[in-house]
Amino acid sequence: MKQRYQNRIELLQGTLDLLILQTLRWGAQHGYGIALAIRANSGDILQVDTGSLYPALHRLERQKRIAAEWKVSENNQRVRVYRLSPAGKKKLASERSRWAQISQAIGGILGPAGEESEA
Amino acid sequence: MKSPWGDGEERKKELNEEIASHLQMAARDREARGESATHARAAAQRELGNAGVIQDVTHDQWAWTWLEDLLQDLRYAARTLRKNPGFTMVAVLTLGIGANTAIFSLVNGVLLRPLPYAQPDRLVGATQYYPKGPLVVMRQQSRTMELVGISDNKEFNLTGSGDPVRLIGNSVAADFFSMLGAQPAMGRTFHDGEDQPDKDRAVILSHALWEHRFNADPNIVGKWITLEGEGREIVGVMPADFRFPSPKTELWVPLHLDPRNTGDYWGDSYMALIGRLRPGATLEQARAELKTMRPLVLAAYAWRMPDNSFADSSIVSLEEAIVGDARGKLLILLGAVSFLLLIACANVANLLLARATTREKEVAVRVALGASRWRILRQLITESVLLSLLGGALGLGVAVGGLSILKATLPPDTPRLVDVALDGQVLGFTALLAILTGVIFGLVPALGASKVDMTATLKSGGQRSATTGNHRASNMLVVGEVAVSMILVIAAGLLVKSLWILSSTSPGFRPERVVTARITPNESFCEVSGRCLAFYNELLERARALPGVRDVAAVNGLPLGGGAEIFPIVVEAKPTPEGAHLPMFWEKIITPDYLSIMNIPLLRGRGFSDADAAPEAQAVVIVSKSTAEHFWPGKDAVGEHIRAKWEPNGWRTVVGVVGDVREYNIRSDSASWIDGVMYAPYGPHAIRGSGADAPPAQMTLVIETAGEQVQIASELKNTVASVNHDVPVSQISPLKSWVAEAMAEPRSTSALFAVFAALALLLGAVGIYGVISYSVAQRTREIGIRMALGARRQEVLLLVVGQGAKLALAGVGIGIVGGLMLTRLMSGLLYGVHATDPVTYGEVAILLMLVALAACFIPARRAMRVDPMVALRYE
Repeated sequence: MKQRYQNRIELLQGTLDLLILQTLRWGAQHGYGIALAIRANSGDILQVDTGSLYPALHRLERQKRIAAEWKVSENNQRVRVYRLSPAGKKKLASERSRWAQISQAIGGILGPAGEESEA
Repeated sequence: MKSPWGDGEERKKELNEEIASHLQMAARDREARGESATHARAAAQRELGNAGVIQDVTHDQWAWTWLEDLLQDLRYAARTLRKNPGFTMVAVLTLGIGANTAIFSLVNGVLLRPLPYAQPDRLVGATQYYPKGPLVVMRQQSRTMELVGISDNKEFNLTGSGDPVRLIGNSVAADFFSMLGAQPAMGRTFHDGEDQPDKDRAVILSHALWEHRFNADPNIVGKWITLEGEGREIVGVMPADFRFPSPKTELWVPLHLDPRNTGDYWGDSYMALIGRLRPGATLEQARAELKTMRPLVLAAYAWRMPDNSFADSSIVSLEEAIVGDARGKLLILLGAVSFLLLIACANVANLLLARATTREKEVAVRVALGASRWRILRQLITESVLLSLLGGALGLGVAVGGLSILKATLPPDTPRLVDVALDGQVLGFTALLAILTGVIFGLVPALGASKVDMTATLKSGGQRSATTGNHRASNMLVVGEVAVSMILVIAAGLLVKSLWILSSTSPGFRPERVVTARITPNESFCEVSGRCLAFYNELLERARALPGVRDVAAVNGLPLGGGAEIFPIVVEAKPTPEGAHLPMFWEKIITPDYLSIMNIPLLRGRGFSDADAAPEAQAVVIVSKSTAEHFWPGKDAVGEHIRAKWEPNGWRTVVGVVGDVREYNIRSDSASWIDGVMYAPYGPHAIRGSGADAPPAQMTLVIETAGEQVQIASELKNTVASVNHDVPVSQISPLKSWVAEAMAEPRSTSALFAVFAALALLLGAVGIYGVISYSVAQRTREIGIRMALGARRQEVLLLVVGQGAKLALAGVGIGIVGGLMLTRLMSGLLYGVHATDPVTYGEVAILLMLVALAACFIPARRAMRVDPMVALRYE
């Protein structure tokens, strides 16, 4: 069971990290908030799995790309809030350019959308 | 997996809270969208998924780099030292094998190692003591043995070179050294005939005496020294390893075989006979010959000896004669310590059983690949032997430490104690023991493991297939372990209780505030009539005047084996039939104040006064209570008469009866061959066992002091020197330490057993703890289900503790039966408590149950805290 979860993380690794870092660019946020933001910003298409989100957050924290601290939310609840670190900002920049390259490459392979349907 | 940073638990808690807050926020948002509270929470939960697994996986993110791995390994290794069964096994084995090695080296040194003399298996000894006359008769007659005599340790004054000193030596037959085959380090041993009168002015020194007293003088041979006022020529020095009859021996002088001194030759100077079987002779022949020589010995006497004289004597190997009573005690110790090893084996076997379960799959795979059962068995046993060899190697360290403690604890008069050492034989024993141990504790688990049902195990994923069989085996091991612990603790309990009774039983006198000192003029000093009496009168007078001294008296020997005159007696009211043994009496020769200083109660009649010591006074004696009851039952002993056998007209009148005193040792008032105890006033009327007219020269002062801490040693020495500067003073010590010394033997035995019992309890507790913990670990799922179904924590606690209690109870029951059978073997070591004392058994049973329950409680608490969710998820 544990194994299955881990595999999924591997699959999403990189992409999810990128999404988290990107989300945190707008300011510090807790895990639930990050999940909500990703979903909202993707137009409800990307549903972030909690089982992947938290391992990713903690992995990024350990890699010092984000920093975490406990805060009290507006609902008077103790929440763990993540913030982008300088190293995280650099990482975000490099990941963005890498993502751009990859999507360009994949786009190149797939060709223009119209050709495929015609073939 | 924990993070290596030492805050794993903290992080887990935070993670838990983080996810809980996530859930709460999600639920609140749903509620805000109009869902009902319960529905919202359930939906949020569903959306989140398995919180436990999320936490675990998240947590794992913290432990993935090599540095972390390394630190983790280190931490794991440290934890292993505490938790790992391998560590426990080696520790348990180390203890078990170490204790056995220590006791075995003791047994080996004392009982097994051959005596360090030529052809030791040919050496023999008689079980009874003989006077000089019978020795001479028998050594002329015997065809099977070369017999020599050797006196008990005697004290000699060495004077003429500095302060007078007391030396310990033995009188021996001239051919004593040649019979043993002992060579001197310097000079010579005694010549034949050197034990005859006028030729016996020789002395041989021990190596230690030569070294310490004579500064290792290389030209010592041929010099003369003064012993007991007589000049003797030093003819030889023995090597350092010659210590016969005891390591205390500092010198040897020849026996003085003078048939003209009838009393000494035929009646008084009893000594041990040892000998060497002549070529071709057997021990049985020697025994038979001793019987046939007895009538010849009795016929040689000038008077009629009791018909059964020397009838109980026999010939045994010299080792047996030397070791005597110590044998039984040592064998009991060896038995006890091997029980300890059994418990250790059971412990390790149990740990292996637990491990075998987890290795079942490995074994099944090997069987499937074609390994034979024998091959598997061999591999598993090799592993356990390796383990126990490791335990044995470490156990040697324990043995070295244990042995030095043992040698310090055992009474110094334990025979051959100085010979005890960790030698090649002991090492061999330890190696053998380790291998044997490995096979024994490895066999049960290995048999279980090798019997694996291949298909079932491989199918089941290797979790719980053969465990029921293993469970039964491990339960039986624990029951056995508890039973053996129970026996050991019962034995220790009985011994400790004996010791307690012994130390709280009055020895018949009060040792507090009494200091004693041995005053030892040469025996010849008293040959001048009245000189000794005057000396002691003056000494007592002056000693009484010392600061802090209340009163002083003298006695020929302290109670508790300090010595007394011994002789056969005729009781006027109770004549002994012709040919039967006359009653043997101990006579304590005392000055009048002795009884009051020692607080020995006067029960009837009167005590002694100074007037009783006058030559013209009527000869009087005092007898002990049990002596009075034995010889004058139902009558008043005061006014009755007794006399020494050889004084037809020397009747003494009994003037008083006093309380019984532990004269022989701490356990008994008198030896089995002594029929009565009497007191006589120091002076001309004291009876001497040797038949001498003079009172004894060597006396012990008993000095009552004003307080417990009065220091009088130097004043006392000065006082004695001022009366006569040639008289040595020695052994100045409180009477209390004399009593403590008498307790040393029972105390050391109890202490050893107490240590064994404590170890047994510890190992037993570890055993129960191990089995119950393991079973809790195995039953986590079951416990989880029970709790999920509503079982309360107390019920879980009871369930687990009950399981342990059942095992312990079975063990205690079997242990009681075993104890009843085995403790009677040690009844000789007990005092005031029966080997089947129900109170001790009950107390020990309760103690053991408490320890067992405490051992169960730790795993039971763990079981109680099982989180049903975690338990179910982890299967």
